[in-house]
Amino acid sequence: MSVRAMTAPGHESLYSGGMRSWLTTVDHKRIGVLYGISALFYFVVGGVEALIIRLQLASADGTVVGADTFNQLFTMHGTTMVFLVLMPLSAALFNYMIPLMIGARDVAFPRLNAFSFWTFLFGSLLLNLSFLVGNPPDAGWFGYANLTSKQYNPGMGIDFWLLSVQIMGIASIASAVNFTVTILNMRAHGMSLMRMPLFVWMALIVQVLMLLAFPPITVAFIYLMFDRFFGTHFYIPDAGGTPILWQHLFWIFGHPEVYILILPSFGVVSEVLPTFSRKPLFGAPFMIFSGILIGFLGFGVWSHHMFTTGLGAVADTAFSLATMLIAIPTGVKIFNWIATLWGGHIHFKTPLYFAVGMVGLFIIGGLSGIMHASPPVDIQQHDTYFVVAHLHYVFFGGTVFGLFAGIYYWWPKITGRMIGEGLGKLHFWLMFIGMNLTFFPMHFLGMDGMPRRIYTYAADLGWERWNLIATVGAFVIAVSVLVFFVNAVRSVRAGEPAGGDPWDGATLEWTMSSPPPEYNFAIVPVVNSARPFWLHKFGPTRDISTRTREEGTPPQPDTPPERIDLPSPSGWPILAALGLSLVGGGALVGLWLVLVGVAVLVFGVYRWAFQPLERLGHPTFGPAPGGGR
Amino acid sequence: MRVDPYERAWMWASAVMIVAFVATIAYGAVTQSYHPPSHVETIDPKQVWSSPSFQPLGVVERADGSIEVRVIAHMFAFQKPEIEVPAGRRVTFRLSSVDVIHGFQIVGTNANTMVMPGYVSEFTTVFEKPGEYLIVCNEYCGLSHHVMHAKLIVTPRAR
Repeated sequence: MSVRAMTAPGHESLYSGGMRSWLTTVDHKRIGVLYGISALFYFVVGGVEALIIRLQLASADGTVVGADTFNQLFTMHGTTMVFLVLMPLSAALFNYMIPLMIGARDVAFPRLNAFSFWTFLFGSLLLNLSFLVGNPPDAGWFGYANLTSKQYNPGMGIDFWLLSVQIMGIASIASAVNFTVTILNMRAHGMSLMRMPLFVWMALIVQVLMLLAFPPITVAFIYLMFDRFFGTHFYIPDAGGTPILWQHLFWIFGHPEVYILILPSFGVVSEVLPTFSRKPLFGAPFMIFSGILIGFLGFGVWSHHMFTTGLGAVADTAFSLATMLIAIPTGVKIFNWIATLWGGHIHFKTPLYFAVGMVGLFIIGGLSGIMHASPPVDIQQHDTYFVVAHLHYVFFGGTVFGLFAGIYYWWPKITGRMIGEGLGKLHFWLMFIGMNLTFFPMHFLGMDGMPRRIYTYAADLGWERWNLIATVGAFVIAVSVLVFFVNAVRSVRAGEPAGGDPWDGATLEWTMSSPPPEYNFAIVPVVNSARPFWLHKFGPTRDISTRTREEGTPPQPDTPPERIDLPSPSGWPILAALGLSLVGGGALVGLWLVLVGVAVLVFGVYRWAFQPLERLGHPTFGPAPGGGR
Repeated sequence: MRVDPYERAWMWASAVMIVAFVATIAYGAVTQSYHPPSHVETIDPKQVWSSPSFQPLGVVERADGSIEVRVIAHMFAFQKPEIEVPAGRRVTFRLSSVDVIHGFQIVGTNANTMVMPGYVSEFTTVFEKPGEYLIVCNEYCGLSHHVMHAKLIVTPRAR
């Protein structure tokens, strides 16, 4: 009897229902899917922006786009990839997987979760609305003051940017609160913190980072908003303000943001490697504490983005030391991943390809990061293409590969169907080759002095060859993404049914059918191990080659033995999110629209607050309560 | 209100830490005159062109025999666009911006600084190898950021 037969057929009905059911859903799984689809859509948008940038730079004196369009493209590419792709793609996996992995039936605040998603979506639409108005932001994703001032940037682009990123910041803070509470309060009985899966641990650290990092950027944005809308002078040097303030506030957010983007991928890799090496994660407690240490030190390194600002030797030394310290916990993680693979019975599946690829590529990005930690070296490389190479090895090689490992790993759980191994591996190899072709030559360009964010360069500078190679690489990446979408569509249409536990996993999400039922767990499990499902299947042993539990013993019954009540769907969160976005958008149109937005927001929040969680028609499962009335 | 003893202890500990940190900073700033070592030299960006510390622009020999180079960065050029300094001598660059933040990177060396409006950026370096160096603005400064560059010529040292 195969492993797959162990669990009941998947609950495909999870995704059925019309548009209305999606707009009012409070189910963490459906919200996770919404996050994932939005993020992948924006991944294509940001990718197309990158392709145009690469076409423009493919040869000297390029004429594909104008200088103004080029500046808008790299601004939107950066903003899109950070806020509209990597963060929501992590949020998609957090939403879908965290409750399943900790043995919960939903997140702590299901309607706040819906509010987070819709706020994010409306904020991202507001940002991209700037394209339709014909005035996208053009000051870089980092928006250094005072180039963003009314004097030097009178158009509406910067306003779109600062308002939409603030709106998305509210979404992030709301979901950070939600997931912190979920992880701390809603774990199944017996799941102590040290038994929690690494992915959930990294997610917890990310939530804390978001909670602490978004307030400084909000302050920075509010100052900028006041400068632009109400004529204050926080960043205007002519009037005694200082642009350095922006740099500090931005990077106090900006560097923890780097860890917000990379730690989810660390978490995914820490789940994928043990599953496909058939071994527990090597030194799991060290992995947890390294993650905490990375998050903690992440707040003490922001000025390494500012070594050329001229803060003086004392500040440069302190920030240089703190930055180098981060290499220690990061190194611990990398060695532990390698040690996890060492001596394992390795199953070469697509998720493992991406996870191993992530480890290798992230090492390259990490090594160039250590170079930047030294001010004299950094000063040579600051704002050159060397930094572009570094950050793309971290975000593309690290985050994107890690998240794709997660997508391939959990795809059967989410869709209930297997995804093609052949196309998956083709996707991996194309993306791996394309990524190295694109970003490795940028190291050479940077050392040769090519500055970032230049729209053209002269032929006699000798930068043409590597730029052309980088452009070719970018198109190889584009093809690999196309392969992924073909694979995804084929899997959804005609993929082989996955069963509950296709990879013989160790954690709780594999104990239920794929896709899971609305209520997740028919019986909330009692956890006795960091690898509860391996314990269930193989007994208390480190050798997981032979099952002790009789095959076919289902970990979860098909129908719940007791009645389960789920929170009813609600349309008020989406209304409140709409109101919030109208407030932001109204700032660009007129006071009347702001007031309409406030009214909608207040009304939405009011109705939301007084809506009973359970009312007539809310979903229930299992037997009706006994002693009928 | 009942507060758990552990929680109470942590609340007190955090409060004490905050008070201690703030007191340390205040004590250092008031009695020891510690200040963050950033940009101690400020300048009104509207007065840079006429400021005596930038007159004349370009290369100036100081009384002590060292060399001072004065550069003003503006959208989208450096004044002056061509700088000539001798090899093997201490060269102090003094820069300021009249509009937005610019960068001043001498390609192939580790001479690189931001040029901030409202501040004078200063650094000292020695060029050992004679030749022509490209100077680029590497801090994104607007529409024609890509054309903002200058030239540094290092002449062989006098024998």
